[in-house]
Amino acid sequence: MLSEGRETLKEVIQAVAPIALIVLIVLAFLTGSPVSDLVNYALGVIMLTAGITLFLIGVNNGLLPMGEAIGSDLPKHGSIYLVIFVAFLFGFLATVAEPDVRVLTNMVEMVSNGAITRDPMIISIAAGVGIFVSLAMLRIVVGVPITWLFTGGYLIVILLALVTPADYLQIAYDAGGVTTGPLTVPFILALGIGLSSVLAGKSALTDGFGLIGLASIGPIIGIMLLGILL
Amino acid sequence: MIAELVIFKGIATIMQDAVIALIPLSLFFILFQVMYLKLPMGHVINLFKGIFFTLIGMILFLQGVHIAFIPAGDAIGSFFSAIGKAWILIPFGFFLGMLATYAEPAVRILSKQVEQSSSGFIKGTLILYTLSLGVGIAVALGMARIIIGFSFLPLIIIGYVIAIILLWLSDRDFVAIAFDSGGVATGPMAVTFLMALAVGVAGGIEGRDPIVDGFGLIALIALAPILSILLLGIYFKSKKVKSS
Repeated sequence: MLSEGRETLKEVIQAVAPIALIVLIVLAFLTGSPVSDLVNYALGVIMLTAGITLFLIGVNNGLLPMGEAIGSDLPKHGSIYLVIFVAFLFGFLATVAEPDVRVLTNMVEMVSNGAITRDPMIISIAAGVGIFVSLAMLRIVVGVPITWLFTGGYLIVILLALVTPADYLQIAYDAGGVTTGPLTVPFILALGIGLSSVLAGKSALTDGFGLIGLASIGPIIGIMLLGILL
Repeated sequence: MIAELVIFKGIATIMQDAVIALIPLSLFFILFQVMYLKLPMGHVINLFKGIFFTLIGMILFLQGVHIAFIPAGDAIGSFFSAIGKAWILIPFGFFLGMLATYAEPAVRILSKQVEQSSSGFIKGTLILYTLSLGVGIAVALGMARIIIGFSFLPLIIIGYVIAIILLWLSDRDFVAIAFDSGGVATGPMAVTFLMALAVGVAGGIEGRDPIVDGFGLIALIALAPILSILLLGIYFKSKKVKSS
């Protein structure tokens, strides 16, 4: 776990450092922020780096093996309904725990001064992911080509956009982006890989993947419906 | 002294949030463990050690975002709009978007994956450059939208319509990869810093609504890798036809 941790830390630093440094330079030399702000910024970046590292190590040693264990156990019970239902729960619960989703929804609540509250957004996003992960599973079982599902999903997203209130429109599309965060992606893929390795005769490359793409259409529709219905 | 206080500001709420976020998944696993899995106890304890790491990591991450990236994005965004040089954020955004993608490990993994599924026809570096350029353009477009003030809807609809058209023209193996790749560029960096930057700019320019104009950037960033990979898929298809 130690060498794995070092490797993860290296990758996180690689991803965070370039932007963090440029932002520090801009803050120090252009915006003329006071030193106490710079210190806070630097401490925050260190916390964030340590946080992502611990988070990823934790996911790899906790949630991910859990997902794989459940994913490969499921088909043994032979019920397609159970698979679809668990796929929904997987998508829903992983999204509830996704840090990126929290950052977006906290930010929306803050910027809108509480006019758009966080928890209904999280639930709509999570339900959207859950429903689309189940659809993706159903697709693998029934054998619908992926191009059809994407075309259908995108057409719905385009049509709903025309009737979504302006305040929710941007947030809805952003919600599609944040669900593909560091928790949801490996967790849902673990389920998909576990299942498609058992469902015989399906090519792993073209059938197992596409899950994440489908999972990011759900939240867009979820937030749009939230905006339309509220 | 003051700096010390700020880094723990609001951490109690974040801790509570993080615990609540992880409880449902843990309960779900315990239920499965008791009913079907019946994994050995030692193994289960190790898995829960992992959950504990995830919890601590999530708290540090969210707190770090609150004290570092959100204020920084806001400060930079409002600074440039206050001095009337908001346009600088368009090339700045392009540069940050490109750099963030180029530095992101997930993007390298994806590039390798595409290289393999094209059986080496398309080099990993070509994919890396295409993706970085794509995300850079997306961030620049997102910034330009806020600063110049054109609306989001036509932009995103055109983006999705192009995606649907490319979908039918692109190589089949590339399609699934393309749609899964939407996530690679919207990592924690993009979500936190670039979003705060956009909201900061929108808040600083007269006549912009932070809710309507500040958000939408992540959506454009997510679309960039999809379009890039689909385009590469078309390029690969035409190369394959020519060589056979």
